[in-house]
Amino acid sequence: MKLFAFVRERQWIPVTGYLIYVAALTAGYYYNLTFVQLGLTDLGTREIGMSPEDVSIVMAVLALLTLVAAVGSGLVMDRRGWSTDLYVKFRLLFLIILVQLLLTIAAPFVSTVEGFVLWVVVCSATLGLGIPVTFSFMLDFIPIRDRGYVAATVAGLSFFVAALYPVEWRIDEFSLVMSAMMVPAVLVLAVLSVKRFAFVDVLASQHERSTFGTGRFCRPTPVRTLSVALWGPILLMFGVFFIDSLGFLRIIEEPLYIYTSWQSPDLSVRFFIAVFHIVGAVAAGVLYTNFDRNWVFLWVFGLFAFTHLLYVFDVRFGVGETPALILPMFYVLAVSFYTTLNFALWPDLSTAETIGTHTALGVGIAGWLATFMSTALALYSEGIELPLGSHLTYVNTLSLLFVVALPVLLYVHRMFELARGEAAS
Amino acid sequence: MNLELIPLLIIVLLMISAGGVDVETTEFVIEGNHEITEHRGALIVGDAAVTIPDDETISGPVYVIGGELQVQGTVEGDVTQLSGSLAVEDGAAIDGELQHIGGSEEVADEAAIAERTPVEFTPAEPGPVAAYTPVVLTTLILSLVGAWLSRKRPMLLENIGTTARDHPVISLTVGALLSVTFLAVFVFMAFTLILLPVSILGLLIGLVAIAYGIIGLGYLAGKLLDMPRVGLATGLGVIGIMVLLQVAGAVPILGDLIAGGLLLIGLGAVVVTYFGLQKFEPVSLPE
Repeated sequence: MKLFAFVRERQWIPVTGYLIYVAALTAGYYYNLTFVQLGLTDLGTREIGMSPEDVSIVMAVLALLTLVAAVGSGLVMDRRGWSTDLYVKFRLLFLIILVQLLLTIAAPFVSTVEGFVLWVVVCSATLGLGIPVTFSFMLDFIPIRDRGYVAATVAGLSFFVAALYPVEWRIDEFSLVMSAMMVPAVLVLAVLSVKRFAFVDVLASQHERSTFGTGRFCRPTPVRTLSVALWGPILLMFGVFFIDSLGFLRIIEEPLYIYTSWQSPDLSVRFFIAVFHIVGAVAAGVLYTNFDRNWVFLWVFGLFAFTHLLYVFDVRFGVGETPALILPMFYVLAVSFYTTLNFALWPDLSTAETIGTHTALGVGIAGWLATFMSTALALYSEGIELPLGSHLTYVNTLSLLFVVALPVLLYVHRMFELARGEAAS
Repeated sequence: MNLELIPLLIIVLLMISAGGVDVETTEFVIEGNHEITEHRGALIVGDAAVTIPDDETISGPVYVIGGELQVQGTVEGDVTQLSGSLAVEDGAAIDGELQHIGGSEEVADEAAIAERTPVEFTPAEPGPVAAYTPVVLTTLILSLVGAWLSRKRPMLLENIGTTARDHPVISLTVGALLSVTFLAVFVFMAFTLILLPVSILGLLIGLVAIAYGIIGLGYLAGKLLDMPRVGLATGLGVIGIMVLLQVAGAVPILGDLIAGGLLLIGLGAVVVTYFGLQKFEPVSLPE
């Protein structure tokens, strides 16, 4: 790892960059996992009294608005050169966290549907802006060699903490804790937004070095926005997110499976899940760093296909008792794999000129659009009273399709390359 | 799941398929405490405590491959015990055949057993010679194969050995992921019964790959001996690795982790080098 070399050479400024990146992304992702994804459901159903279906519709709207906000802000950041201006990004991040702090404080006081919708709209705007701002930090702080491992650290840490805390969701208590955690970050960012520091100047210029500023897959030729090299991974990641949320949305609604999921009341189960999140993330980091990215995609789809196969099998042939921990274990491995990939992939498909747009398109379409569509589909499948087994069979079909399609497409792509080469010769 | 259960599970599934039992009604109880009150079809007791309560009847057949089965009620079919513990209490009934192959068995005098067939193997406490014979034989075979391979195709073992030495973390990661995933896949395949032969073949290939990894590590250890005869060095290296695995296995937890780690590094190195056919090079990243 390059980090060890920095430590050995006592270059503490680049090391600070690592710490800023891991802290910012871990905190942001943890907030998204807990307060947004779990908190909104609780807020809508328990506090306001909306039906789960209505809350799901609002969640889908949140996903769609986040996508729009992410793509819009990503394009603006690249056009105005903000993607490479660290001070501007610190100001934007200060604005995002300040608004999110206010939203977090306000959350327990939201008591009407109109207020809830307004809260969601403002939240989605900050989330959307936060995607190109935070993901583009990778170019400022993390050299290419370490991106897989750093992405693994962020994914592993976020999931580890989120799996263990909060054990019992209470919006008022959690709002208080989150607010207290956000205040120091707001203060630090406020200072960084208005005052220049020598160490920040050094960090701000790191993206000009090729080991930072030009992504791994942009060598020797940068990946263009309208190219298969970018849209292929976007499509694959869309498939991953879609499969995950479509399956998981229904699984966690089954009382039987809640006991072996994130929502388990048993702390030992949650600890098991938390530890396996770390194991999965580390494994993904090692594979991402040392193998072609297609291997990691193959692993993700393979793990999902097998996981859903296990769940379908358990739904069909299980005896109605709490399933073995092998089911969530594989699920957790798959989720950690693709989350690690999601953090590392988009910056590595970008240069300093395209980082805002590419991360916004990648995370926005693959993550948020997939969430929007899978939520809508899951609601539809509930609406027509599709049994869980059938629902999971469809999800399983999709994951198997991706498992088979990926190597076939790679093979065909290679054939085209060879044919073009022969034609040229 | 306890890994030692897997061969027994495969054997049981072979028995089930030979007996023509419907796999869809087969239940494998893997963990926890369970009271089975009604079950139609085969029941496999793994690492779990299963009780058939008084006044309850299940159809069977029942296979005990680990854990504990306590019969207070009635089993209409056969009960086969390969491992674990079985207790048949007063008033309980087994209408079929009770076949005891291994494990501890306790049958009350007042229990009604239609037919009993004990299958006597070696005594429960084998002597040291009997206990270590399989290990010694395995070591001997692996060292001979290693010696032969290092003379005939040294490049194969060179690729595996150098990958294990230069990229232990990558090898360990790949080995661990593959072993966990494929082990689960093969067990899952076994449950379909149709894919049972594929499952057994897959597990055998897995064992061969692990053995090949040990030979690769042995070749690496043999090089440290700095002997002119590469075959002899590799053979001795394999013996050294096998002894290390045995000694490490005797140390609780940490020893198991070291032994498991070594095996997985060997397996990973075998896989990423395509069984030694290609030198492994990680993707090139800018420094």
